Amino acid sequence: MRDPYEVLGVSQTASDEQIKRAYRELARKYHPDNYQNNPLADLAEEKMKEVNEAYEAITRIRSGGSASGSYGGGGYASGGASASQGGYAGASGGHGFAQARQYINMGNLDGAERILQGAGVKNGEWYFLMGSIAYRRGWLDEARQNYQIACQMEPSNLEYRQALNMMQQGGYGYRPDMAGGQCDSLDCCTSMLCLNCMCGGCN
Amino acid sequence: MFGYVRPVLNRLSEDDRAAYQSAYCGLCRAMGRRYGWLARFTLNYDFAFLAILLSGGQGGGNTCSARCPAHPLRAPRTCLCGPGLDVAADESMILTYQKLTDDVCDHGLLTGLPYRLVRLLFRRPYRRAARARPDFDRQVRDGLERLRQMERAGSPELDRVADAFAGILACAGQGQVDDPGDRRAMEQLLYHLGRWIYLADAWDDLEQDARRGRYNPLEARFAGQAKQERAYVETTLTHSVRLVAAAANLISFGRWTPVVENVVYAGLPAVQGAVLDGRWNEMRATRRIREKQINERSV
Repeated sequence: MRDPYEVLGVSQTASDEQIKRAYRELARKYHPDNYQNNPLADLAEEKMKEVNEAYEAITRIRSGGSASGSYGGGGYASGGASASQGGYAGASGGHGFAQARQYINMGNLDGAERILQGAGVKNGEWYFLMGSIAYRRGWLDEARQNYQIACQMEPSNLEYRQALNMMQQGGYGYRPDMAGGQCDSLDCCTSMLCLNCMCGGCN
Repeated sequence: MFGYVRPVLNRLSEDDRAAYQSAYCGLCRAMGRRYGWLARFTLNYDFAFLAILLSGGQGGGNTCSARCPAHPLRAPRTCLCGPGLDVAADESMILTYQKLTDDVCDHGLLTGLPYRLVRLLFRRPYRRAARARPDFDRQVRDGLERLRQMERAGSPELDRVADAFAGILACAGQGQVDDPGDRRAMEQLLYHLGRWIYLADAWDDLEQDARRGRYNPLEARFAGQAKQERAYVETTLTHSVRLVAAAANLISFGRWTPVVENVVYAGLPAVQGAVLDGRWNEMRATRRIREKQINERSV
């Protein structure tokens, strides 16, 4: 295992507060939300796990080795495969395209597309899955159009609605704390405001 | 290529600014060394960024000192050197030449003459570059051919047209990244960056293409009403930048992390804002992104 201090990017002499801050920043960076339906979700999950373990190890060392396994302060869950790999499993239930969903999760986009193209019915789920395939290819326009149709066909479906919302917002935005450590305890909007003020946005 | 990918220099620390400068000068030097002085004129920011991406993780790379031919009286500049620079130089040469071939095809016998001449001058350097990177050369030719076909057919399928170009860029890091996870992330990073460049360029060309009656992927997608769809285009561009960022965050760039973050989180949004507002030519001319040019809208 790598040196936990190195993983968090802090020196061995850093204060508990600095370590917590570094940890929070990294946890925000690799949060599963930023990698939803992203073909790199597994890599982000690995990073998250590494960061969690490093924080845990440092906390353990600093508390004299007694508090094994506890996170100290508000640990982030590493997401888990079902959440970060697209979160399809939950809602898929008894639908007809379980195989296509599985292929998408495995990254076999051509295989998933073939199944869908061969299907007789084009329901909300069909358009949703076509959208997901497009999204994973980076075809954001096609993804959005397909999600839109899925939502029109099944307006009450939360999964489709969420996917469309994400497209309408232009995806998830993590911003690094480049301003020097003053903004990171604030929420996202406030820190944007901070940045704007610093570059003359408030004048 | 286009020069859209650049940092906001005054938001970099002095050291990082110097490092960026050394990569830019290093690429220029690599192009001069490998392909002659003429090749230096094709230098651009996009490939300087590629050189940085491919030099990442190697502790920053080696540097050497060289006099700048454009500023012969100034003290020698620090130049980055290493395999990342050579790859970027080769790939820049290949793409430049193939783009010229494209321009020759686009123009008639007479108006295409200047392109033919320039292309002739770059023929030998290109051949050398293609020999050094045969795979990339093939991918560029295939990608541009696909692009040509779709353009000729007036394709309204925005993503597929952009995909032909983005796919070329996605190959630009091939064989340069050892770790399999990093390789996947690099491919994604370059793909989304390529999509962003292509679409930003399409927006920038809207008026010119309309004047000359040429195909424009955004006009084709929005049935001639592209200008009214600014919000939609902005959202999709922003989304691409965020996907670039998500991929970049998974790669360890070592010494280059602040520069990469600056380009992704400050440079791209600033350029995007300028392109959408029609201020891009002004920004390109000043050669430096100034604070007042940075839009409040950011990624």
